[in-house]
Amino acid sequence: MPILEIEGRKYEVDEDGFLQDPNIWNEQVAQDLAKTEGIEQMTEDHWKVVNYLRNYYLQYGIAPMIRKLCKETGFSLNQIYQLFPSGPAKGACKVAGLPKPTGCV
Amino acid sequence: MSKFTRIEEMWRPDDRPLLHLTNEDLMPLPPPLNHPSLDRPWTPLTEAARQQYECRLDDTCAVSVPKPKSPAEEAELVRKFLAGLDKLFAREDNWTFLQPLVLTLEHCARCQTCSEACHIYEASGYSELYRPTYRSEILRRLYFKYVKHGGLVSAWQHGDIQLNWPLVARLIELAYRCNLCRRCAQVCPIGADNGLVAHELRKLFSQELGIAPKELHDNGTMLQLKVGSSTGMNALVVKDNIEFIDEEISEKTGIEVRTPWDVEGADILLIHNAGEILAWPENVGAFAVIFTVAGLSWTMSSELAAYDSVNYGLWYDDVQFARIALKQIEAARKLKVKRIVLGECGHAHKALSVVADRILLGDANIPRESALTLLHELIMSGRIKVDPSRNDFPVTLHDPCNVVRLMGVVKPQREILAKIAPKFREMEPHGVNNYCCGGGSGFAIMSGNNFADWRFHVSGRKKLQQILNAFQDCLDPSIPKYVCAPCSNCKGQLRDIIKYYGLWDSNRILYGGLVELIVNAMVDVKPGFIDWEWH
Repeated sequence: MPILEIEGRKYEVDEDGFLQDPNIWNEQVAQDLAKTEGIEQMTEDHWKVVNYLRNYYLQYGIAPMIRKLCKETGFSLNQIYQLFPSGPAKGACKVAGLPKPTGCV
Repeated sequence: MSKFTRIEEMWRPDDRPLLHLTNEDLMPLPPPLNHPSLDRPWTPLTEAARQQYECRLDDTCAVSVPKPKSPAEEAELVRKFLAGLDKLFAREDNWTFLQPLVLTLEHCARCQTCSEACHIYEASGYSELYRPTYRSEILRRLYFKYVKHGGLVSAWQHGDIQLNWPLVARLIELAYRCNLCRRCAQVCPIGADNGLVAHELRKLFSQELGIAPKELHDNGTMLQLKVGSSTGMNALVVKDNIEFIDEEISEKTGIEVRTPWDVEGADILLIHNAGEILAWPENVGAFAVIFTVAGLSWTMSSELAAYDSVNYGLWYDDVQFARIALKQIEAARKLKVKRIVLGECGHAHKALSVVADRILLGDANIPRESALTLLHELIMSGRIKVDPSRNDFPVTLHDPCNVVRLMGVVKPQREILAKIAPKFREMEPHGVNNYCCGGGSGFAIMSGNNFADWRFHVSGRKKLQQILNAFQDCLDPSIPKYVCAPCSNCKGQLRDIIKYYGLWDSNRILYGGLVELIVNAMVDVKPGFIDWEWH
């Protein structure tokens, strides 16, 4: 399994850089994963998206619909792409420590 | 590296791949991608992937088979492969596909008509490794040597082959360089089916060696059988999401919709590919609007696997296939519906309508219908009223292989488009002669290592060429264009390849389903259903 190492902290990730064990996630992990997505500094807007994803995931065991994410956070899809250049699934979900989406999505 | 890979190279013991492609090798594309320098660079396989997985076929790695740790482990895998090979040709183990498989292996005349028909072979610049008969020739030689136990004369007649782990490792990957679109089978003058050969190899690897892409098995059929859907949605989540879609769509269209759940005795059990619910909710919402306005008696089911029409077993494993199909049928029986209607998902059409027919006996054989024929009836009868001027933009149609070539559903979607899309133009060729989107047989959801690069450059190239050709007269970005693809898997591939080449930004090419176009034209609905900016 690939290991992601940032400033001495090591995480097991899959080949696309998603956290292997969603349970070890915390704010530091999010900041480290954000760096792999080209986000140097997490802003309040980044946290708003990440916290929504995280809470939804803890409740339902899956990522929310993208439209739901937009509606609940008030960001348009374009704004989410501006915050997370790889997009909501491959970018924002990764930073929030969610596993890679599965199925025909 | 030569593109003329010899059969003997398959059992070469070293780790070096047999084929390396560059953009210059590939089939040319029309504007705006009409020079290799305008194409995207390939992401190479990482050194870590090469160290860890069997990557000795070509530039990519679809299955991520871990390298065996010892010669004993290699020998054990080869032994299992041989045992599986015997089962593939035993009536009691493979009664479903034995006859066409044997016919294909024993009667192919090597005329190569199939090769000319294969989009992967053509797009790769005619690389020998991807010729449909290359893969079949390997299985043929294995069959005559190890199943029929032919001796020297047989080896002379059919060609010799050396079975070792490198051969098996390469064959695993090679089984996943075919979209199973079966265009090759369609053109074969004697009905040999080289697509079936790729399918049977995948089956052998899954059922006997436990080897399959994790997107199809662990995160696909296993997840679906465990929680109800390969998306990971359980019944609670799917209902919550549908409620959200109902609310959004009611507001957007002005038509009050409320999706019925678990209604006993309804005429229709509608099963969507659950990926639609998460990734393309407007498709699911559009179905609800059409069904509501038409006043149909319909329901969805919250039973395990019955709110997700996908059945990835179709692509790689007969046992997993049967488990899922039976769950879906059981849900329909429990609700006592008159028929199942399959939403816009191609492989679900093939799985539940056609292939499952062989395991559905007696009253389990509940009628199954394509959404396309039902929609056709609703539009032609005037139950759904449309104003085509609302779809005043160029539209072309992609034919999902499983719905069109395999099931022969060709005219309904075209007659609908004739009513709702005044600027419709066909791709060439089309109908049963269509080309696969490049995402068929599970590729659209497989992106491990750099496999996505391969499916954009090679398997998806022919479809990309067709789409660009269809819009050559209107490439100008001031004109929005719509590729209508009534299949989730095809939409996934089109979304990814359009994004990869930036074709929305450069030329305003959008993709979507058929029901979205219908609702966009419905006179009862607020104008502007299609969200051009949402892609």
